[in-house]
Amino acid sequence: MSSTGEKTEIGRRDFLGVSAIVAGAIAMLSVVAGALRLTKSNVYYEQSQKFKIGRPENFPAGTKVKLDEKKVFIFSENSGLYAISSICTHLGCIVSQTDSGFLCPCHGSRYDGIGNVVGGPAPRALPWLEISLHEDGNLVVDASKEVKSGTMFLI
Amino acid sequence: MQSRFYASLLLISALILLAFVSYAGLRELNPEWKTYQKEYKRLFFNNAVTPDMKKKAAEYTVGIRQIYIKDLNRVDRCDNCHVGVENPLMAKEKVPYRQHSGTYLKDHPVTKFGCTICHLGQGNATNKKEAHAEGHDTYWDYPILPLKHIQSSCTQCHNMDFLSKHGADVIIEGEKLFNEKGCKGCHKLSGNGGVLGKALDGVGSQPIHYFPMRYVEGERTQPSWLKQHFEDPRKVVPESVMKVKLTPEEADKLTTYILSIRTYDPPKIYRRINEEPIVAKDGHALYNMYCVACHEDGKLSAFDENLKGTIPAIENPAFLMNADDRFIEMVVKEGRKGTPMTSWQLSSAGLTDEEIKKIVSYVALQRGHESSKPVSVNLKTGDKDAGKEIFNVRCALCHGEKGQGGLGLNLANQIIKKADDQYLFKTIRDGRATTPMPPFGSTGLGLTDQQIVNVISYIKAF
Ligand code: FES
Repeated sequence: MSSTGEKTEIGRRDFLGVSAIVAGAIAMLSVVAGALRLTKSNVYYEQSQKFKIGRPENFPAGTKVKLDEKKVFIFSENSGLYAISSICTHLGCIVSQTDSGFLCPCHGSRYDGIGNVVGGPAPRALPWLEISLHEDGNLVVDASKEVKSGTMFLI
Repeated sequence: MQSRFYASLLLISALILLAFVSYAGLRELNPEWKTYQKEYKRLFFNNAVTPDMKKKAAEYTVGIRQIYIKDLNRVDRCDNCHVGVENPLMAKEKVPYRQHSGTYLKDHPVTKFGCTICHLGQGNATNKKEAHAEGHDTYWDYPILPLKHIQSSCTQCHNMDFLSKHGADVIIEGEKLFNEKGCKGCHKLSGNGGVLGKALDGVGSQPIHYFPMRYVEGERTQPSWLKQHFEDPRKVVPESVMKVKLTPEEADKLTTYILSIRTYDPPKIYRRINEEPIVAKDGHALYNMYCVACHEDGKLSAFDENLKGTIPAIENPAFLMNADDRFIEMVVKEGRKGTPMTSWQLSSAGLTDEEIKKIVSYVALQRGHESSKPVSVNLKTGDKDAGKEIFNVRCALCHGEKGQGGLGLNLANQIIKKADDQYLFKTIRDGRATTPMPPFGSTGLGLTDQQIVNVISYIKAF
């Protein structure tokens, strides 16, 4: 009788101690998790890569525009709209448009009309950028999102 | 027994720690903006009509957002709560879901301008209290600008001419009040104006701590201070000597204008300011701009409690009859030392000679046609001591023992020394109709011409 009583006594004390340690450990772990969470930042100090280029009406088929500030060409054809980056894939100069495509003034990389390399040191084609429609009716180009060459945005 | 005690202590403290940690964790995981974004998503989806829009709404992801604008050196996170500013489907929802009013965002794309360049507030903050920053306890210098004063932000990039053609009526009327209530009579702005009050350059970008908020009611922000100060200057600054009191509507408009006087200029590529044609102001406009705050219409000479002196009636025909343009011009140029009257010349309050001439001719318009007959006054015959006796009995009561002024004007200053003898003689002899100054001459209180000359010699020696 007395021995069982003693047993429960010890059991209860054990339970108390164990749960205290477990609770403490959980709390400490959460604190550590919280601290680790701080090492990953939610947002960065950088300009958004997305920008609006205007309403689709402003880009009737046949339009070719170069947006100097945004470093991108916008083309509109019957089959849709597409945006090609104007940053040379060699060392980052801004390419200019020629009759047959694009030409980089720095080291003479040449690209065809849809951005594929046809000569010079450029290692790869000019990237096509994602175009989408904002809910306010403007077209948005996201320079951080590359799409497959030939992807048209249908208005 | 003891170990049990310690175990319980450990358990309790562990539980308390756990409670704190979970509270902090829950708060971190459920910030204010998340609630708004979730609700926005729901509203967006409900309001969408076309399948395309429904799809867009469904694709909307809840998450922290920000607008970083390098050229303006600003990070605005307002769109975490004001989610729908660019969404026409949100036009009818309530704030913060609602679309931005008007067509402003068309010409001022969010990605180029952000929010705080116009609305002020703490762009970096991600909760309402700190973002709106209304009051000292948020430690931010520029609280969100109340919408009724929002036009004060337009002047950063646009000039008044442009604004008047584009419906910025509040700030235009505010500027008009500023020019017509004589603010520059006491406050310098862009190099000219009086010196009794603080200069106003850059006052619109003064931090919240620049303004003593002790007596300000409601939100303790710059606009509240300005508005309440315009309605009743001494309520907000007990020692203020400012005379002007405005109606609440006027105070709102003037506040908008004053808030537009900022030091911070956005980079040139943002500004749309072309040189404003400088329109030369006529005498009347100049009088309103610089003189009207103290002299009002100039018809009444009155003792001012706050300035502790009598403001002379400069449009009083009796004064103008005796004072010629040259004398008035001298007073305007040199001011009256020992009184609140500022020296207005270019080197002090910044008015050009031409502007002063215009003001003088405007003041002189009230002069009647008949000018008083010239008298010959020979001061050499004046007896200072005899003059002193008369002065102490007849004049000191109002003008002070030493001519320091009181109910009457201050006489102990350069202007009186330089004033034309004839002018002083006639003033004493004929008095100043409509002011407490009586005629002391033989037809009035009975001083002889010689006695008047004696008094003048005494006055000139102060
Ligand atoms: S950067 Fe264009 S070719 Fe080198």
